[in-house]
Amino acid sequence: MTEFLETQVDKFTFRVAKDRKYSSFGIWALLKGNAVQIGLSDFLQQTSGDIAFADVQPVGTLLKVGESCADIETIKVDLEILSPLTGKIIRVNPLMESVPETINQDPYSDGWLCEIEPSNWANDWENLLDPGAYFTQMKRQAEEESKK
Amino acid sequence: MSERRKVIIVPCSGIGKSFGTVSRMAAYQVTEDDRPDKTQLIPLALLVLGDDEACEALENNPAITIDGCQLACATKMVRESGGKIAREMAVLDLYKRHRDLRPQGITQLNEGGQKLAVVLAEEVDIAVDELTQGGNENA
Repeated sequence: MTEFLETQVDKFTFRVAKDRKYSSFGIWALLKGNAVQIGLSDFLQQTSGDIAFADVQPVGTLLKVGESCADIETIKVDLEILSPLTGKIIRVNPLMESVPETINQDPYSDGWLCEIEPSNWANDWENLLDPGAYFTQMKRQAEEESKK
Repeated sequence: MSERRKVIIVPCSGIGKSFGTVSRMAAYQVTEDDRPDKTQLIPLALLVLGDDEACEALENNPAITIDGCQLACATKMVRESGGKIAREMAVLDLYKRHRDLRPQGITQLNEGGQKLAVVLAEEVDIAVDELTQGGNENA
């Protein structure tokens, strides 16, 4: 069962899953067999608002780190989701087309975006933030946002 | 003789949020222009304050809630106030069916938001007509 780091800022509670790594933008990456599943952190989905549409690049798309793998439209913002790793999309979460708000409801499990077959995982893994480092960064961001 | 029943319209109160503004514009159109004789607008704030008249109106009439986001404050507050929700509507659900009408702006909605409010109002009108003609009062 996934364990979480958790913090409360103002009236909001933010969780960071401890079993994966994160880009500084708030995209998580979790190794699942030969593929890496990616999705939005709890902080990113909460601060972005209710998701209306999630357009994920199709299966077969080749990605490098930092290239766009999905466009997400919420009631507040448009988000371009940048891939945290290099590889090929081999599976897209079918819920993204029908019920993209699953990201809001379950960002670390059912709300995953896509699975990528990595081509340079060892290196990409090293460049991602571990849960503790992301938690510290996220908490600082949340506290700054609450002061605005 | 008993007073004719009205359909209570409770929109989102999200001031400063485009989707909330769409819900309120639609509610105004329905209660002031389209179906003034059949509907009554109750602002969410009155329910939060526990206003007696507002709660009594909810107890005696079917309600249509229009939520701006997934927090669904309108629906939750009507339930907490003891109201009978006949229809639950959500601006986000409607927008998913009308992606070309993206609401933006807060004090002044953009054209897409204004059009979406009109489409929403038309759907609420239909629901009001169904309810006042003896339609199912359970959401």
